[in-house]
Amino acid sequence: MNRLLFGAAVLALGSVAARAQSPDDLNLQIHGFATQGFLYSNANNYLGMNTSSGSTGWTEAAVNVNDQVTDKLRVGVQFHYTRLGAFGGDTLNVDWALGDYKVNRWLGVRAGKVKIRWGLYNDTQDYDPGYLWSLLPESVYGVDYRATNLSQLGVEIYGRVPVAKRLGKLDYSAYYGNYFYASDDGTAELFRSQGLNFPHSPGGKTPGLDLRWTTPLPGLKVGGSLMTYDATGDLPDGTYRQPLAYWPTGYVQYEFKNVFVSGQYVKLVQYQTVTLQGAEPVTSVSENHEWFVMGGYHVTPKLQAGAYYTHYLVGSADNPSDPANYFRDWVASGRYDINANFYAKVEGHFIDGNGVGFYAFNNPSGLKPKTNLLVAKIGFTF
Amino acid sequence: MKKIGFSVLLLAAASLVGAQLQAQVIVIAHPGLKAAAVSKRELRDVFTGAASDLGDGSHVSPVLLKQGATHDEFLAAYLGKNDAALRAGWRGLVFSGQATMPKSLESEAAVVEYVARTPGAIGYISKSTVHDNVKVLSVP
Repeated sequence: MNRLLFGAAVLALGSVAARAQSPDDLNLQIHGFATQGFLYSNANNYLGMNTSSGSTGWTEAAVNVNDQVTDKLRVGVQFHYTRLGAFGGDTLNVDWALGDYKVNRWLGVRAGKVKIRWGLYNDTQDYDPGYLWSLLPESVYGVDYRATNLSQLGVEIYGRVPVAKRLGKLDYSAYYGNYFYASDDGTAELFRSQGLNFPHSPGGKTPGLDLRWTTPLPGLKVGGSLMTYDATGDLPDGTYRQPLAYWPTGYVQYEFKNVFVSGQYVKLVQYQTVTLQGAEPVTSVSENHEWFVMGGYHVTPKLQAGAYYTHYLVGSADNPSDPANYFRDWVASGRYDINANFYAKVEGHFIDGNGVGFYAFNNPSGLKPKTNLLVAKIGFTF
Repeated sequence: MKKIGFSVLLLAAASLVGAQLQAQVIVIAHPGLKAAAVSKRELRDVFTGAASDLGDGSHVSPVLLKQGATHDEFLAAYLGKNDAALRAGWRGLVFSGQATMPKSLESEAAVVEYVARTPGAIGYISKSTVHDNVKVLSVP
């Protein structure tokens, strides 16, 4: 599918180039970024890396090409590279590749591989230069399992719902498309740890919507999203079926001058049924509660500082006090923009629990309940 | 009481200076644009990527200055953001596949020249910069 998208993107950009009569006609833009992280933890290994020994196993880069073909039509493609310890690696993924036709402010249509607008940060979570944080809240935006739900192959309609000016603005996004579970991230590792070795990644449909209200109070936004997805997959000795899972979220964000504050709450309900040859189907259900609150401050135009707290709980667990069923993380973070292109970040994490981000394959002696983690990053964007 | 009176005077003086600074920046557009005025809210929407048209439906594309006093004054007076926050917002839109980056030019003369020849272009310059062949929009 990625090859098909790549071909479509090359054709689209090729047609743009062919249309141009002179370099002035061509409004191509190329942007990109690259980051390198260093992580050190005092106890467990985290995010698929050997962080207890100090790890430079986190590298990310992306490059995009955009063309505003006409006032209303835009085409573009972005390639993304992620290496996160044992995950990702030497593969360049098509992050998005789309045509975007904006009829007017009330209605636009995007088609192709389109980023999913869900919650505050889903569609921008793989753009590191956009954040003060080195790691977004793992409970909601886990860097090790984000690849599956970043984009969908289908259509999005978006725009603004007409409301009285005094009520602010109401923006919507609704989408319907296909997706596939990532084959080389933390979710794939969890499947493997359950004995589910898929020859080809399972996938399905992912309809959803997002509504965000820019309130009349300057800087205050409130919103809600619902992502749903089902999946089917073949196993060497059976089948895997996941009925429609519901991933609703509510969020709020406030920005005023040099201060920003935000919060998000998520509830995920997911069923899965595994049917192996000669055996009865086995159905399991998980219900997770996830949330965070964060705040930051621009100390100077180049220096930002902030903190957040995030919480994850397996609500359906028999023993919610087992560290495997929860995750709490207090985080303090700083970022310095060296110039318009280069930046550096440093972040401290104080983690209680192992509910997300920890894996058995690189913690063979078992997991301790608490982990302190230091993250340092440098990055470049243009 | 005297202290309060002095503070009020200082505040009034500061707001007068602020208004004076704001008056030094003017908003210009391609002469073909129908609108004669643009609201602060429309400016904020257009220059942060939240909208690509004005209230009357006219398509507009923003043009930024790369840096300088006029740029800083415009951001402070109309957008309530600093340069770093503005560009971070635009990059978020570009890297999530929602927009292209607005044109960003080195000098005010270059902004005038670009706006004059580009239908739909809207930019800002200082009042003292020569601005023939463009339309000046009032900001009520």
